[in-house]
Amino acid sequence: MTNWTNRIATVLMWFTALLVTSVFLWIITDLLRQGITHLSWEFLVTAPSDAGRSGGIGPILISTLLILGVCLLTSVPIGVPTAILLAEFSRKGHWFGRLIRSSLDVLAGVPSIVFGLFGNAFFCFYLGMGFSILSGGLTLSCMVLPLLIRSTEEGLRSVPDDYRQAATALGLSDAATLWRIILPAATPGLIVGLILSISRALAETAALLFTSGYADRMPQSLMDSGRSLSIHIYDLAMNVPGGEAQAYATAMVLIALLLIINVATSWASTRWLHGRISL
Amino acid sequence: MSKKMTYIALLQLTIISISMILSGCDKHENAKASEIPQLQGKLILTGSSTVAPLANEIAKRFEAQHPGVRIDVQTGGSSRGIADSRRGTADIGMASRALKSSESDLTAHTIAMDGVGMILHQDNPIKSLTDKQILDIYTGKITHWSKLGGTDNPITVINKAEGRATLEVFLHYFKIKNENIKPSIIIGENQQAIRTVAGDPNAIGYVSIGTADYEASHGIPIRLLPINGIKATVANVRKGVFPMSRPLNLVTHGKISPLAAAFIAFASSSQINDLVEAQYFVPIAQ
Repeated sequence: MTNWTNRIATVLMWFTALLVTSVFLWIITDLLRQGITHLSWEFLVTAPSDAGRSGGIGPILISTLLILGVCLLTSVPIGVPTAILLAEFSRKGHWFGRLIRSSLDVLAGVPSIVFGLFGNAFFCFYLGMGFSILSGGLTLSCMVLPLLIRSTEEGLRSVPDDYRQAATALGLSDAATLWRIILPAATPGLIVGLILSISRALAETAALLFTSGYADRMPQSLMDSGRSLSIHIYDLAMNVPGGEAQAYATAMVLIALLLIINVATSWASTRWLHGRISL
Repeated sequence: MSKKMTYIALLQLTIISISMILSGCDKHENAKASEIPQLQGKLILTGSSTVAPLANEIAKRFEAQHPGVRIDVQTGGSSRGIADSRRGTADIGMASRALKSSESDLTAHTIAMDGVGMILHQDNPIKSLTDKQILDIYTGKITHWSKLGGTDNPITVINKAEGRATLEVFLHYFKIKNENIKPSIIIGENQQAIRTVAGDPNAIGYVSIGTADYEASHGIPIRLLPINGIKATVANVRKGVFPMSRPLNLVTHGKISPLAAAFIAFASSSQINDLVEAQYFVPIAQ
């Protein structure tokens, strides 16, 4: 009897695992099949023309990287200290920590279009930044902060208390304990948060449509409007007849970019981790 | 004391660097404007995502002629274009429809027309269909051509995917909802609809007239049907008499700047007809 249930459970688990994998493979194969013929070095460096049907994605690639840069440069310096405060320096159950945590959880569930409208009203008009890469990056920063803070906090919490007690016993200062022991040990959580944030930022369309905008020229400064890869894909697929092939090629570039950045992030942080403590 | 000084210095540094970032684009514009003393400044266009790709191409050509000008095209839908031009957050709005009576405070400048025509295979003996007959075909009440005096074959009903501009024009003209349509095939592009009809003598579909006209005159075996007795030609769309069509408008509110006026004049001129045709719309300027 139990043998049978085991077998069924095994089959079911294999089935679901294969299902998930096949969806991923299907998407990749479809993208490769439809987009690979358009992909070339020219495509990566030239500017789009004829509404994106010909030419490449050069300025769009640059805008995307700038938006991501602004997003990370603002969200990491705010997110990591907040996570440290929540995990290390606030008493369990204190009202302040609870308030921050519950507001973060609410923010994490807000649909991205709401962030887009907020960013449009606050950054673009109230702060007068207009449709710009800066507005887009800051809007994305607001969007990924909850994700980043919560997963960094989880990472910090997963560091055993033994480490902290041992550090105190050895007479290490709070700062040294944090910098030399806790943070390196919590790096895996931070990487997960960072990778999720980058993925979410790169994939975002709705929040950027009203903030960083639609202009597809090469940005001259952070105050210029710049189209992101995801918006370019959306526009080619929905508004431009005959843009499908270019949309597929752009989607391939987006996925490749995502993979490269994610692998690089985890490689760099692992190296940093090994430089700090030898586990 | 010295610590305080450092803080103040840091603060000043931050303010200076932020203001440098913020002023970055102005400097750039000034440098360019001094070379060409004519038109200069920046225009913001927002609105219809159907018009946006065309407006962006027109803007690029305008910028190439006037290096001191920067035109940012943003999307968000016709309603947003109308709201933004009314509030003044955009210099020019874009709308892929005619203005409503409640929007009489705005001025519409039509830059192109978008016409949608019904297409059949060339070998289909049906010469015309009434609106009622087309409606019955698309809602599944008529399923065979024999009922309309044609061959005894089932009708292949081709519908467009959700979000396509031609679908909206079609639904608006026949006053039906997309869920009431019983399609045999759902497709995306105009080209795809034309290929499907060209390969199936029993098919019926609707596409942008500019595209269909071009393909039919280049030997593709398709035929545009008249709607309500009016021939589906680019000329009739241009004149505004063809019923299943809509204007692509630039919308302005109140008094506009010389730069905006110059851009609208350019966008309404025949200098952009090739761009309009490249987007499968119908140019109106002669």
